[in-house]
Amino acid sequence: MNAVTRDDALGTTDLPWDGIARGYAPPDVLSINSRLRLQTAEEPEVDPITYEVIRNSLQNINLENGHTIQKLSISPITMINRDFQCAILTEMGDVMFMGPYLMYLANTLGIMTKWILENRSESPGIDDGDVFLNTDPYVGSSHQQDTGLTSPVFWEGELFCWVANSVHYSDVGGPAPGSFCLSSTDIWEDPPLFPPMKLVERGRVRADMEQLYLRQSRVPSTVGMDLHAALAGLTVSRQRIIKLLERYGAQTVKAVMRKTLDASERAFVDKLHMIPDGRWAERIYTEAAVPGDRGIYVSRVNIVKEGDRLYVDNEGTSPQIGAINNTYAAFVGAVLAPLTLMLAYDLGGVCGGVSRRVEFRPVPGTITCADYPAPVSSAGVCNMPMVVATATGAVAKMLACADPPLRDKAIGIADVHAYGGWIFNGIDQRGRFFMAMHSGMAPGAVPASTSRDGIDTGGIYWVPGMEASNVEDNETSWPVLTLYRRQNRADAAGAGRYRSGVAAEEAWMLHGTDELDTQVYNNESFAKCQGLLGGNPGGRAFFRWKRNTDISARIAAGDIPQDFDEVEGEEVPLSWKGRPIRLERDSVWTLNLPNFAGYGDPLDRDPELVGRDVAQGVTTVGEALEVYGVTVGQEGLVDEKATAAGRAAIRKRRLKEGVADPAVMSPPDAWAAASTGVAGSSQAPVNGGRARVIINENLSLVRTAGETGFEAGLGPASRTRYVCACGQDLAPGETDFKKGCLVKESPVDAIGPGYTSFDMEMTEKMCFREFFCPRCGARLATEVARVGDEYLWDIELRL
Amino acid sequence: MGYYIGVDGGGTFTDCAAMDETGRLYYAKAATTQEDFAVGMFAALAALAEECGTTVTDLVAGTERLSLGTTVGTNLLVERRGARTGLLATAGHGDSILMMRGTGRTAGLEPDLLFHPQATAKPVPLTPRALIAEIDERMDYKGDEIVPLDEEAVEAAVCRLVREAGVTAIAIAFLFSFKNPAHELRAMEIVRRVAPDVYVCCSHQVAPRLGEYERTVATVINSYVAPASAAYFGRAADRLRETGLRHPLLVMQVSGGVLPAAKAAEIPLTSLGSGPVGGLIGSLSLARRLGHTNIIATDMGGTSFEVGLIIGGEPLVGDENVIDQYRYRLPRLETTSIACGGGSLARLDPHSRSIRVGPESAGAEPGPVCYRRGGTEPTVTDADLVLGLLSADGFLGGRMPLDREAAVAAVAALGEQVGLGPDETAAGIVRINNTRAAELIRQQTVVRGYDPRDFLVYAYGGAGPLHAFAFAQELGVKGVVVPLGNGASTLSAYGCSTSDLVLNIEREQVLFAPFPVDELNSLVAELESRALASMSGMGRGAGEVEIERYGLMRYSGQWLHSLLVRLPPGELTAEALERAVDDFRSMYDTLYGSGAGLVSQGVELITTRIHAVVRLSRPDQAVEKASRKPLPRVGRLGTREIFWPDHMGRLESEVFDGRQLRHGNRVPGPAVIELPYTSIAVGVGQTLDCDVFGNFVLRLNRPGSSAATHMGAAATSVGASAGGSR
Repeated sequence: MNAVTRDDALGTTDLPWDGIARGYAPPDVLSINSRLRLQTAEEPEVDPITYEVIRNSLQNINLENGHTIQKLSISPITMINRDFQCAILTEMGDVMFMGPYLMYLANTLGIMTKWILENRSESPGIDDGDVFLNTDPYVGSSHQQDTGLTSPVFWEGELFCWVANSVHYSDVGGPAPGSFCLSSTDIWEDPPLFPPMKLVERGRVRADMEQLYLRQSRVPSTVGMDLHAALAGLTVSRQRIIKLLERYGAQTVKAVMRKTLDASERAFVDKLHMIPDGRWAERIYTEAAVPGDRGIYVSRVNIVKEGDRLYVDNEGTSPQIGAINNTYAAFVGAVLAPLTLMLAYDLGGVCGGVSRRVEFRPVPGTITCADYPAPVSSAGVCNMPMVVATATGAVAKMLACADPPLRDKAIGIADVHAYGGWIFNGIDQRGRFFMAMHSGMAPGAVPASTSRDGIDTGGIYWVPGMEASNVEDNETSWPVLTLYRRQNRADAAGAGRYRSGVAAEEAWMLHGTDELDTQVYNNESFAKCQGLLGGNPGGRAFFRWKRNTDISARIAAGDIPQDFDEVEGEEVPLSWKGRPIRLERDSVWTLNLPNFAGYGDPLDRDPELVGRDVAQGVTTVGEALEVYGVTVGQEGLVDEKATAAGRAAIRKRRLKEGVADPAVMSPPDAWAAASTGVAGSSQAPVNGGRARVIINENLSLVRTAGETGFEAGLGPASRTRYVCACGQDLAPGETDFKKGCLVKESPVDAIGPGYTSFDMEMTEKMCFREFFCPRCGARLATEVARVGDEYLWDIELRL
Repeated sequence: MGYYIGVDGGGTFTDCAAMDETGRLYYAKAATTQEDFAVGMFAALAALAEECGTTVTDLVAGTERLSLGTTVGTNLLVERRGARTGLLATAGHGDSILMMRGTGRTAGLEPDLLFHPQATAKPVPLTPRALIAEIDERMDYKGDEIVPLDEEAVEAAVCRLVREAGVTAIAIAFLFSFKNPAHELRAMEIVRRVAPDVYVCCSHQVAPRLGEYERTVATVINSYVAPASAAYFGRAADRLRETGLRHPLLVMQVSGGVLPAAKAAEIPLTSLGSGPVGGLIGSLSLARRLGHTNIIATDMGGTSFEVGLIIGGEPLVGDENVIDQYRYRLPRLETTSIACGGGSLARLDPHSRSIRVGPESAGAEPGPVCYRRGGTEPTVTDADLVLGLLSADGFLGGRMPLDREAAVAAVAALGEQVGLGPDETAAGIVRINNTRAAELIRQQTVVRGYDPRDFLVYAYGGAGPLHAFAFAQELGVKGVVVPLGNGASTLSAYGCSTSDLVLNIEREQVLFAPFPVDELNSLVAELESRALASMSGMGRGAGEVEIERYGLMRYSGQWLHSLLVRLPPGELTAEALERAVDDFRSMYDTLYGSGAGLVSQGVELITTRIHAVVRLSRPDQAVEKASRKPLPRVGRLGTREIFWPDHMGRLESEVFDGRQLRHGNRVPGPAVIELPYTSIAVGVGQTLDCDVFGNFVLRLNRPGSSAATHMGAAATSVGASAGGSR
């Protein structure tokens, strides 16, 4: 295949991070033309009351930017999917407030604004009333569709701050309707890049620039309305900030901005102090760089926590290839999303303080930090959810090691590829061309966390407020009929001590047209959503299609099929990322958004909760027994004795089926018994360091009382050991605890019915690994991995 | 004697307001009784009778009209005490109300919570999955039948739901029923035949709008609250009839009007959340009398701050409703609320070392620290007490002594953490609370393209009149009216008593401009005849009914936004409809800036609405004679040292008994007017006048302003200068 892999992609560290050859990474000190005067002076003291009054106003001003966009935009993806973001930034382009919308866009606005400060302050200059437009992901957006607008707010001739927003525009050109160019192998097969240009000059929209942008689109009127909505949002924000400056003075408001950022930084640091130093990693696999490709690729996020800083890289990520790339700005935004949600949940969207404490060091030339001219327009469906997912996994494991109550905030991976679902176009029932991005999968699900079950169809939590369209909205706008839309069952997918919320599925047929083209669909050949600390992985997202079905006859007979498998017809095998397909008359197709990550060993789930799920019809009696080892009646009544026996039998089977890593011998029981009492059980720091870190209910790292540990030839005596709650010593703290586990490797489609695949060739490349305590059989970790890949050493703690 | 009575059985208290034939007003309150609302209502009526100098029996027998505002439905829903409700849904779509469009975790929450996934959850389902039956039937977007109704399946489902699952109410919500209700109607017939005792309603009747989730929610909530609401309305009506009420009991609606109790019981959803609407209607009624056209109506109570707008003499109408994270669409007078009131808690933000106020609230229990009911964290009310805006012995007419020392201690403890003394801290708490209130008002006006400076604030509710002096000043509005003085805390009840009969009848039908004239004319004719028939059922002849027509219009594809555009009366012509489209475009540009809309983008009309009103007569409010007595001798209770938050200093301030003030009295600030149910603060440089209707009118501190010309009633200055600044 002809993927773009620069010959020298990896290791070309000599390329500048300038937004041209490589994604722009802002330097610590920006180089800004001295003609541009910056308002930097601040009042040294602002009383706590005035501070709160102004902070509250600024937060509301930013929300108004978002409300305006949401109300006035006309593409469902913006108004319903909340695929936009808005921000107030300091004069230097640091994001102060972001809105409760698509999280990963927030920081791209900061990066883009900094680039403008460095590259546009001389020519054409930055003036009062200007609005810059940018679509270039190398400068700072996640893909070309996420066009950013940023506008300087001036006060007495000085640049006081910026207001900005980023909105997903339905089509910004390029070969594929919707501008997700899944077949691109270089940037010239992608929609055009517009590096920052002045859309509005001193308060007047430049007709030439507006037309240049809209001219690329298949739906210029829709994009035009959305663009005006975005401009209206900026106008509202800018006017309100000016009012604030008139009232309180620039120096006071500036002081509040700085203090707010400082406070958010302190809040973040306080939380970091609740986390032991260490390194955490997540690895997510993806497939098909372009349609037809059978390759498997890796996204890695590694987080090192040292004192009050985090260091994030993507080492281990595949070299850039095909159309599955994103730029530096997108990587940073995607990592900050879960960090903000899990560690800055109490800051009301002040994310600037978070990014001050996080250093990004991604390896360039990789799929998650691509160099020019890699195509990136598909990032919205291919990469962004994947990088968010990868980062979520790493952050969640880090948080799982934190002291309570922070530990309770760790949430599993929400979505890897399914978000973005399905883009289709054709002639609608009124004979007009239409293009649609289906948001029906937005019901989402909240995955399991370390402290509770996830939430059934609770939305995609990193896009707060995202909505699914109504079936009636869809059918009024597009020539389709939805046969069913319903919640999934809580089956094996996402099972665990705490289970994932269930997501949803739906099935469609044509109505009022004879054909429809789909541009993007997701039919995973294997499940990609990693489980959290012993939980089951999320299920497999699928898109299935049958043609020449009996649907017309059945409908005519008054029967609305409620099970895709029952529809008679010719199923067309679809690969994960196929070429566009044409759905014709009597086609029926179904989309499934799978359940997401589960947390912890399913055998540790409270049987009463399993009973409740059975009673509510969310789980079947059979699934309860198979997945959870719980014997339960139809009404949800748990047979405790049978359950205890059933679970014991499963644990026994695990011990039989699991294999020890040949390099490690089991430790003697004597040490295992002794280790339970080692150095107390408190998680709290003792003598400046923690005595024990609870990783999950079974797995802990403990500090040993001296050098009496079991060594097993793994080097010098360890001061810390991984132990199981049953007392079993697993491994020295300096190594991967998985090496002290029994491991069972099984086919990735054998986890349960939610994982079965149509594509055996791809499936066989992957496996499912379970890591059991060699003594009690507790499942301590799981991995979906490429056959032959090393275990992911994902937790490394320094007490 | 003929009385016109409004009762608001809303929160902690059941409020009453009455006007007699001479136009005199009376107010009373009694504690709300949760177990049987009628008990509290009669206690309040007894108190009212006492005010009127008569007995309950004579009062009720002499009543020409009695209108009731109630939160019984809201309480049933929030506390999940409603009927066990079954749902019949289209095959394949029964999960819609469980999936909640993915917004069930977040709808209606404060934005801060959206960043905190672990602090959010979906509400307890109104109807669990086991009570949802899917029925084979299907209409398409045009209302064409795709699959006929499986009547046997309906019967079987109803039998199962009623006999096995024990439901006492059923909601029917099929896809596209608002385009073609045939299947819903047929299913309803079957329910009525199979289970005649079970309450049943259809989505096309309750909320005939596009969007199955919102329509289903509306229908299910309606069924959920219907049996108990009907029983409640019936019980109240029976007891009133037994006591001698000669006219049908009227029930307040979110439309801003009232309906006879029997009619209201048919679709109780339209009474749900009508509390804030009562205050807005009360404001509207007074505003019309005073010639005020642009009003920001604000209701600040213990936990919430509600804002409604009257623009050009008309209240704003919206249709988005969220209750307990369930969302539905129903035309209503628009009010917006934030958690901001006397009970809002002041807390330290440890990272910025600043003070946050709200959204957490001490509520009624334990309430502020000074209530001595176990509250330990300082609230806005505690701060008011520390400052001296409230007095320890003047609260609720002296019936509830407040613990000032405890309030000072709590406020001081918070202040110490940020290096402020108790007075400065209390002033800060009040300032922050007022800013939050002002921020909400600014949003509601500015976002709609209005300038707050063109408005008067009407301030009511227990805590509103005390804080308006500051948040109104902050906004720079023209002035503040504390409507009806002591009646300000019972304004919702007054609003109920002044409401007219109102019906909204609407139909969702998407029409693209240029609109088809004939189709629209026949649609309007059909809706109007339905409105007239319905009014006739309430004994109202066509001659009494005033009809207004509206279209909800939007740019094509704008799913989340529409503007209400008035359509002309009479036969609609192509020209008239073209003008309506122009009206839409210019409204849009006014709201969102010139050029916000694209000329190239088509306009569509999505919903046609008929607003039918029968004006209910009532006496004109009595006009007071001007007082001749100079101020210092009238109701002067003395002076108090008050720490004014906008002044940051203690000033000797006059305290008046508001009941003694008459038209013609003018009170210069700094002063506090104490009334049994509320207090009014008059800031430094502000003045307060009493108008001929008993409203208090606060002139804000804006030298050279033209505020006075906008005040309805003229006032003469007879006040003596008190205090002044030191």
